[in-house]
Amino acid sequence: MGKIVGGFLVPHDPVMFVAPEAPAEDIRKRMWGAYDTCADRLAALDATSAVIIGADHYFNFGTGCLPQYLIGTGDVDGPLDVLPGLKRQIIPASEKLAGFIAEHGHANGFDWAVARAFTVDHAVAIPDRLIIDPVRARGQSIGTVPVYIAAGVDPFIRMKRAIELGGAIKAAVEAMPDDERVVVIGSGGISHWVGTPEMGKVNEAFDREIMDYACTGNLAAIGGLSDDYILEHGGNGGMEIRQWAVAMGAMPGARGEIIDYAPVREWVTGLGFVQLFA
Amino acid sequence: MSRNVLEKLMHQLCVDRAVKQRFKEDPEGLLARYALSDEERAMVTGFDVAGMQKHGVNPMLTLGFWTENAPNRHPAAYMKALRGAVAEGQVFSAGLKQ
Repeated sequence: MGKIVGGFLVPHDPVMFVAPEAPAEDIRKRMWGAYDTCADRLAALDATSAVIIGADHYFNFGTGCLPQYLIGTGDVDGPLDVLPGLKRQIIPASEKLAGFIAEHGHANGFDWAVARAFTVDHAVAIPDRLIIDPVRARGQSIGTVPVYIAAGVDPFIRMKRAIELGGAIKAAVEAMPDDERVVVIGSGGISHWVGTPEMGKVNEAFDREIMDYACTGNLAAIGGLSDDYILEHGGNGGMEIRQWAVAMGAMPGARGEIIDYAPVREWVTGLGFVQLFA
Repeated sequence: MSRNVLEKLMHQLCVDRAVKQRFKEDPEGLLARYALSDEERAMVTGFDVAGMQKHGVNPMLTLGFWTENAPNRHPAAYMKALRGAVAEGQVFSAGLKQ
């Protein structure tokens, strides 16, 4: 039987790669170091698979097909949007688990769109490269399962449904006959405004509100946030708290701990790192 | 809805190399394939990202469109075009390719 053994909520900020020297040195060290801390803590969990929940940035998917939620069930590589220091590479996948989650969902009211061979964008590639790859390099075999939800392009997945989707992932993992040890990673910035006139603004109060919900496992509060509230206080990028909601939904009752946080205008985002304890 | 057609075109101008090349070499010929009004075509050829956003186009697409196709791709130029005034200080773009 499979088991969710832990979770992380982390940013996937491409500007860290594009303009790595932009913030003050102590901030730079802390933020890159927070990924290292996540990797160290992941290593301690002895995981076999990581489900990374990202969001499309109107890049993977176009107007011809905009899935509410999608899972990569086959080969994985990425990122599609290569960045300085983040070249495209094959990502070790966890195909059996991914296929099982899709099938289990289809049998239980979750009509996953599937990608049989999927090139992820930076939303999944950054946490995979910075958190999971270092653990693979230590000799642990961890397969990645990419999940994409509609948080960047409307119609947005409803917050309630995002939480339910996390529950569907949990139910599938626990129904799996194999002894998978699964980590869920909700990948998303907190407040940020992408491509809008406010780009560069960060709202620390909103960021701390969301991290508080994550640390206290307050699914009702995060699930009760309206899109209007999120857009006003967290920006269009803040809609990515949906990825956090999926991970939290996969670990109901879990408490969390802030690994680090900084509002980094130079990187256009409030960067929060939270560990969820199973 | 023309917002949808604009978004289709913007997406292709973000990710499809052949479409980007055609836009560079023959913008009118490319745009003739899309059901856009004269006003909308002018927004595209004039890189009027503010106008497109007011039209409902997703800001991630206007940013990507600018970053991939504008004569001056620097994010400060994008912000200036968007805000209609000189963008103060350093501006960093999530879609920037240097």
